[in-house]
Amino acid sequence: MNIESANKNGKDVGFERIRRITGYLVGTMDKWNDAKKAEERDRVKHSLTK
Amino acid sequence: MIKSIVKRDGRVVLYDEAKIAAAALKALEASGAGDAALAAQVANAVEERLTAQCGSEPPKIEQIQDAVEQELMRAGCEDAAKQFILYRANRTRIREANTSLMRAIDEITSVDARVSDMKRDNANIDGNTAMGSMLQIGTAGAKAYNAAYLLTPEQAKAYREGDIHIHDFDFYALTTTCCQIDLLRLFHGGFSTGHGYLREPQGIASYAALAAIAIQSNQNDQHGGQGVPNFDYAMAEGVRKTFAKLYQSGLQDALEDVLDSYDESVLAKMAVDAGRAVTGEEPRLGTDTEDFDAAAAKVIADTGRLSDEAAAHMVKHVRARALRRTDRETYQAMEGFVHNLNTMHSRAGAQTPFSSINYGTDTSPEGRLAIRNILKAEDAGLGHGETPIFPIHIFKVKEGVNYNPGDPNFDLFEYSCKVSAKRLFPNYVFLDSPFNLQYYKPGHPETEVATMGCRTRVMANTAYPDAEIAYSRGNLSFTSINLPRLAIEAKGDEKKFYESLDAMLELVAQQLYDRFEIQAAKHVYNYPFLMGQGVWLDSDKLGPNDEVREVLRHGSLSIGFIGLAETLTALYGHHHGETDEMQQKGLEIIGHMREFCDKRSKQTGLNYGLLATPAEGLSGRFIRMDQKRYGKIPGVTDREYYTNSFHIPVWFPISAYEKIQKEAPYHALTNAGHISYVELDGDTANNVEAFEAVVRCMHDAGIGYGSINHPVDRDPVCGYVGVIGEVCPRCGRRSGEALSEEKLAELKKLYPNATPYCGCT
Repeated sequence: MNIESANKNGKDVGFERIRRITGYLVGTMDKWNDAKKAEERDRVKHSLTK
Repeated sequence: MIKSIVKRDGRVVLYDEAKIAAAALKALEASGAGDAALAAQVANAVEERLTAQCGSEPPKIEQIQDAVEQELMRAGCEDAAKQFILYRANRTRIREANTSLMRAIDEITSVDARVSDMKRDNANIDGNTAMGSMLQIGTAGAKAYNAAYLLTPEQAKAYREGDIHIHDFDFYALTTTCCQIDLLRLFHGGFSTGHGYLREPQGIASYAALAAIAIQSNQNDQHGGQGVPNFDYAMAEGVRKTFAKLYQSGLQDALEDVLDSYDESVLAKMAVDAGRAVTGEEPRLGTDTEDFDAAAAKVIADTGRLSDEAAAHMVKHVRARALRRTDRETYQAMEGFVHNLNTMHSRAGAQTPFSSINYGTDTSPEGRLAIRNILKAEDAGLGHGETPIFPIHIFKVKEGVNYNPGDPNFDLFEYSCKVSAKRLFPNYVFLDSPFNLQYYKPGHPETEVATMGCRTRVMANTAYPDAEIAYSRGNLSFTSINLPRLAIEAKGDEKKFYESLDAMLELVAQQLYDRFEIQAAKHVYNYPFLMGQGVWLDSDKLGPNDEVREVLRHGSLSIGFIGLAETLTALYGHHHGETDEMQQKGLEIIGHMREFCDKRSKQTGLNYGLLATPAEGLSGRFIRMDQKRYGKIPGVTDREYYTNSFHIPVWFPISAYEKIQKEAPYHALTNAGHISYVELDGDTANNVEAFEAVVRCMHDAGIGYGSINHPVDRDPVCGYVGVIGEVCPRCGRRSGEALSEEKLAELKKLYPNATPYCGCT
């Protein structure tokens, strides 16, 4: 997933962002298609008040 | 006099009048009129026409074909001319498919997946690797072939233009979607995955290893994911076997230690036999333990070599040790299972298998041990603490079993909430919702609704009403309807919308049926594991050369949809999140679709169902086409995606409670599968009570399958897991930034247990 051996100090190493997509989890959003990326960006949180 | 012609690729070749005559003859024969003599006349006339047109210049292919059309018409053969036009159109379609196929392969071969949306159509495939690219090239080729040869022109048009989406279209002629694998049935008596035979497993380690092998074997026979409906019940059997072995071998060890002898296997066996004579089964953890242990201790004391107290004391400790070791072995087995499914790229060499496991209702001590340990393994994560992607865990919630305080597995339900709040899994399937409860028979785990992680659900069985079970069945294929487009085209006319919806349902139902015909004509040897090993229901009754038609009818044909919210907005100006009136309208549309599916099931004896489509590639496909056609209509086509199935739009502010109330009624209607999500922020998810309250709200509202999303980020450099914005809260770096050696050393001191960035010293 990450090019962990590229540089031991973390240069060019991104954060992993695990998100759910059609029921499945995906370990890095690099592999998401453009529409799903846009959908993820637009997701709003749901409050717990009635 | 024509001597040569120019082909499409520019080459000049000799003119051959016989070819013109042959083409004319084919058209005449197809129209049922005319003969070779007429065809020769037409060919002559074509040459004359071309000479008049072109003089000494060689004519082009298109000019020749135009001339053939015109001369057929002039000869009074309108039908033959029509046939010739159809033939030309079809050749053009195939030629264009070939050209676009070559373009697609060119993109797959040479463009970085990060800039090619096509290569990210399925997020599980790394389009930059050799096997990933080969898979995508195969997909492109199969799609081109299937569209040109297997669809009717009407279906091809609907698919090409985005009225419908035929899912897993690359596999159209090859296989079916998915299956819930009953591990116990598979394991009993052993099974084969190709070369060699796997004997029935004898302990939890092999139960878990073979579970992974079963999933991996079956996924290469089908195009979708693989599920296990009874993970806890199946693993419980492995736990039981491990405990029985450890009990007897532990007894032997203890006897040898105390008696200072070399081999006490006979005495240990006699003691276990005595216990078995009393309880009627192997030593179990937590069931009839006192009777069993007393009988075993008596055998030992009766030898006269140990006192009654010493024998009882020994057996007690043997039991405790066996339990401890069983627990540890089960944990390791579950850990190995999760690691295996996340790391083995066994799906066509390029993907980890889409895998789902259902559990939560086995209340036996062994089942409970298995559930606790699979949750514990998920909780711990992978080697560096990463959140596992597979399998999808699905916890089955049931009143009287695990939902309320005092229920035997209530503790495990609570633990599942804690794990899910951290790792996003398990998801929850609610067996008390009326449309699930109707199948539930206590003591028959096969009647507990299990779901594929993606949401596919197969329970009703019109084909075989006696087999309304979750085990050994799955979806055959599914096709989704572009609902928003129907609404846009209707221009606010409700009646027109329903008319076009009915026409589209009809088209999809027929297309699913045509695909079923292709699937049903396959043989057992086409599915060596799924059918050959008896994984699919009733396939054990078939021989290797039998057609699979009759047993395939256990599966489902699903009609899906996308964008109810945009559909309502296009038709009425609002979506169902906004007003109760729109909620009613939404339920009418979806209810109407469900009615159609039920009717079609009755007519055909096949399991048609309505699916709240899990749209990955589809989320952008329809709307891109609709934007081109209709421009950006506010609230309808003005985003980059259509809203998933019946969901309230992801961007619409609404409370969790209200969202659940609004979406629950649609679960009852979408019998082929559904899921609802609630999005929580990271802090709320750390509050397990709040998390559990949302799950309970879903249960009480009649949700079928639900899960709670919250951000789970990880910095692989410092090992921090949690919510990360621009800057990692632990080490302070931004994405892509390096840390100094000093900072890394300092972090290592501060967080000695954090899984360090590999390469750090």
